[in-house]
Amino acid sequence: MTDAFVTGVGMTRFESESSGSALELAERAAWRALSDAAVEPTDVTSVHVGNMAAEAFEGRTGLENALCGALGVEGAIADRIENTSASGASAVLRAVHALEAGASSRALVVGVETMTAAETDAATELISRLVHDREYAQGVTLPSFAGLAAEHYLRTYDVEPSALAHVAVKNHRNAAANPYAQFQEPITLEEARTSPPVAEPLRLYDCCPTSDGAAAIVLETTPEMDGIRVASVTGATGTHAVAERPNPLEIESVERAGQQALADANVTQDDVDVACIHDAFTILELLELEELGFYDPGDAWRATADGETALDGRLPVNPGGGLKARGHPLGATGVAQIIELTWQLRGDAPEDRRVENPRTGLALNVAGFGNNAVCTILQVP
Amino acid sequence: MTRDVPTDHAFVCESCGSRWYYTRDRCPECRSTAADSYRLRKGEIVTATTVHATPPGVRSPNRLGMVRFDGDVTIVAQLGDDSSAGDTVRFGDVSVLRAGDRSASGPRLVGLE
Repeated sequence: MTDAFVTGVGMTRFESESSGSALELAERAAWRALSDAAVEPTDVTSVHVGNMAAEAFEGRTGLENALCGALGVEGAIADRIENTSASGASAVLRAVHALEAGASSRALVVGVETMTAAETDAATELISRLVHDREYAQGVTLPSFAGLAAEHYLRTYDVEPSALAHVAVKNHRNAAANPYAQFQEPITLEEARTSPPVAEPLRLYDCCPTSDGAAAIVLETTPEMDGIRVASVTGATGTHAVAERPNPLEIESVERAGQQALADANVTQDDVDVACIHDAFTILELLELEELGFYDPGDAWRATADGETALDGRLPVNPGGGLKARGHPLGATGVAQIIELTWQLRGDAPEDRRVENPRTGLALNVAGFGNNAVCTILQVP
Repeated sequence: MTRDVPTDHAFVCESCGSRWYYTRDRCPECRSTAADSYRLRKGEIVTATTVHATPPGVRSPNRLGMVRFDGDVTIVAQLGDDSSAGDTVRFGDVSVLRAGDRSASGPRLVGLE
């Protein structure tokens, strides 16, 4: 159990092409979080920016210091945390560590990415460099791993490809009620099933988009107003080369981070009322729910199809639309998950996507295809 | 040390006998730097996909397989044909795996006739 509380949250709408730079989006989200927490920039004692590649996407370095200058933060600890697509949650982890160590008492965490600032080919190339050199030589990409895992999952458990479409339909439906989501239109099973193939059996609607956006939270140890407690946050690495895993359906980093986070928070899967899961691909939502112990191997698809992970189900998953439909601006995603959980736990989420009286929420942010995972558990104090 | 060997070679630790494919300078089990390379022979496809959205310089579609060889060495590599899960494959003729600035050549995996 940590002594850190989320006292303010704010984000920009995630978009397929924003009008702002990474610095502008980060500043916009930060002001909203500071305002929500009723905190002045001069009261902030540490700033932690989660960002994967601002220098590559738009030629920006020193983002954390530029942000402090823009906000008027003075004399604070400031750093940028890079953990590919889990940069946001890693920045939260860093902030909580700073608070727990007494190095900071009021931390501002900002996750941001402007993926569309680069040409599509350049962005694709950059993201494909996440993989091992020998994987890179074969033209392997993250959708490739997802396609391999999906094919194995469907065949191992004798499941129709349409099982994956239920994840996409659910998350698009949730995003349709989220004004910060990139996609705000529901989709049908038929649309998902017939969208263009990307990495078979995965289709377009099985994959998250490229996105621009920023998300920010304020964390405090002695909040002057009610906050949501960070019960635990922890990370774990997995193999770099995906093929070195004993089973293509296992993501060891997720299992390790999840189990540790649950133990640190002194809760079990049954205590979790709402979850934000790293659904960069529909298959990942299923695999991660199983790795986290919410479902036995091979059961998450059936639970999803039966509505157990819908807003009114036993375990609502990705009520904000997830990466799939809210969007996935890499460094911002992990922070956006914390914001969604905070809204849900405070009862602030709009009525048409509000989970009923949640007390405990879990967020899972994953780097690459499981090279690293960060799991956070939030609770109503 | 292990980075310049051909694509169809894996590594075996001379100290503990562990085997691996993804280049690293030390044995993942005992950390020894004494490693030898050997050519992979036949493997079985664990799972396969056809990728339609590929990076610059990579063929599209790009058929890929996760293939397990003797000694539990598993790799992801391009397939030269329509082999699928359960099929036995071997490395075939040398092909261009990636074109462009970071070009790479090596054999693709093909089904055993």
